[in-house]
Amino acid sequence: MASTKNYRAVVGVFSYIDDALEAIKRARLEKLDFRVYSPVPHHELEDATMPKKSPVRFFTILGAITGLVSGFALAILTSLDYPLRVSAKPIAAVPSFIVVGFECTILFGGLATFLGLVSLCRLPDVFRKLGFDPRFTQDKFGVVIGCPGEQVDDVVAGLREIGADEVQVRDGI
Amino acid sequence: MSSKADAIISTDEKPLTYDEVNRTVLRMLDTPTWRWYLLLFINLCLVGVGAFSWTRQILRGIGESGKSHPSMWGVYITTFVFWVGIAHSGTLISAVLYLFRAKFRMPIYRLAEAMTVFAVLTAGLFPLIHMGRVWFFYWLMPYPNQRALWPNFKSPLLWDVFAVSTYLTISSTFFIVGLIPDIAVARDGAKSGFRKLLYGVTSLGWTGNHKQWKHYTSAYLFFAALATPLVVSVHSVVSWDFAMSIVPGWHATIFPPYFVAGAIFSGVAMVITLIIPIRAIFGLERIVEPKHFDAMCKLILLTSSVLFYAYVTEFYTAWFSNNPYERAQFYYRPFGDQAIAFWGMMFCNCFAPLVLWYKPLRTNLVFLFIMSIIINIGMWLERFNIIVQSLAHEYIPYSWGLYNFSWVDVGIILGSFGWFGMWMTLFIKFFPAVSITEIKEILPAPRRRAQVGHH
Repeated sequence: MASTKNYRAVVGVFSYIDDALEAIKRARLEKLDFRVYSPVPHHELEDATMPKKSPVRFFTILGAITGLVSGFALAILTSLDYPLRVSAKPIAAVPSFIVVGFECTILFGGLATFLGLVSLCRLPDVFRKLGFDPRFTQDKFGVVIGCPGEQVDDVVAGLREIGADEVQVRDGI
Repeated sequence: MSSKADAIISTDEKPLTYDEVNRTVLRMLDTPTWRWYLLLFINLCLVGVGAFSWTRQILRGIGESGKSHPSMWGVYITTFVFWVGIAHSGTLISAVLYLFRAKFRMPIYRLAEAMTVFAVLTAGLFPLIHMGRVWFFYWLMPYPNQRALWPNFKSPLLWDVFAVSTYLTISSTFFIVGLIPDIAVARDGAKSGFRKLLYGVTSLGWTGNHKQWKHYTSAYLFFAALATPLVVSVHSVVSWDFAMSIVPGWHATIFPPYFVAGAIFSGVAMVITLIIPIRAIFGLERIVEPKHFDAMCKLILLTSSVLFYAYVTEFYTAWFSNNPYERAQFYYRPFGDQAIAFWGMMFCNCFAPLVLWYKPLRTNLVFLFIMSIIINIGMWLERFNIIVQSLAHEYIPYSWGLYNFSWVDVGIILGSFGWFGMWMTLFIKFFPAVSITEIKEILPAPRRRAQVGHH
């Protein structure tokens, strides 16, 4: 693999989504690294960039299971520790504890999902804004292609040909 | 196509563009005028009234409120259930309708979610307020202590603690997650330094790259899936505060669906109360259209019918049961000393919304605004009916008595509206009250070449 010292980031600013999709297709063909910024999620962009499912679901299920076990454990163990006979129910009355278990399932599941989201999206994102332009949250699509210095001109020409409004070249990996 | 600043008056044929959505919504965040400050001031005054009343109650004891034998739960719990109910509708609109892919939720759900979070914040005050000795509130929580005590997990009051706390946490998280991309839009459109800092921090540096969107859409779906059972379960748990007792008029299995339907009913009405002025003041006519109001009115009609059916069922069950105490309670409600609350509730919840069957009224905003306030009054009266009327006429004559309203009660209720209003007023000025990203998502993406065939 060539050294990365000469790597540049070519940022193409697009007004139209089909142009952005074309740019992604070409970047894939040339086996170049790319990153796509868009103001909204779009299923075509998703299919073109990351067709596999997101791992957030593992965080959710693990959190939910932890919550379920914890909720019941809290209720059952504290009932056994401080036994209260309430209206002829058993000390550890599992049907009564369903509500507590359920709420803890949802609570831990939700918090775990949030943790998963924040960690997978690398938020708070302070250092990884490569190629970002504030217009990408407003109404423009951005395709950032990383390539070695020698290929920069070709990539720039390719993006212009596809129909980029603007092409910038920046340093960085 | 998309980024020209257009001074042309938009017509219905001209579709919304991303740019227009950005500008319309971000304009809401402009420097506030004196009107906003006035609204904030009014809300703060109401909070002040509430704070004064509550302080008096803490210093002089719970007797300052109207609570006394036999109405040991009075308007505080009524107002608690009222606010929790309003909160549920927000989650219904944002999470449940998301799972059903109902497009009509798009312009209103952000405001509905905000309403949820602030209503739960308001509701959460009431279990504290209605305790005489507020300083012992932490006894509700399971914490290890030297007396080896644990709370009673078999009690619905404790289930309520878990349910409402979970609901507050999950709704707030859902709300914050949904706001992140929109705050990023505000950050990138911000001009002043303070706003850039505020939005820069609160957007957590969101850039909207493809990986972030992928994880975001997945997480959002899971949040919606987790929040959906919460809508049903939390208000069911609140209903069990009453249904798990043996008080006549409370001990009924219809309570959970009855309460959930009532919650959605009052919440949608509150969304209408909030969105009509906001739409007019901030010029959101192109985003919140008459068809959205039409859809909300249909939800109101549905839930009003469910409620009417539930009231009839309660009366029928009481009669059919042949239980003299249950029958006495349901005779007392329409014909007893506090009958005005019952008939007010019937008018506001069952008869008044019937006019919404007439289509032109469903999109008449002045009428809808008044109707939504009538509905909320009716829903407060419904909770008053359930709670205070049942307690006022229990099994034996010793347990019969009227509720004594005190000014402290009224002050605290006003304070709760002020508290809710204060948070909403602050929110609409500092954060986007309409979901920019999701509205852009339902617009057709800008294409150079017209799309051939559909996905």
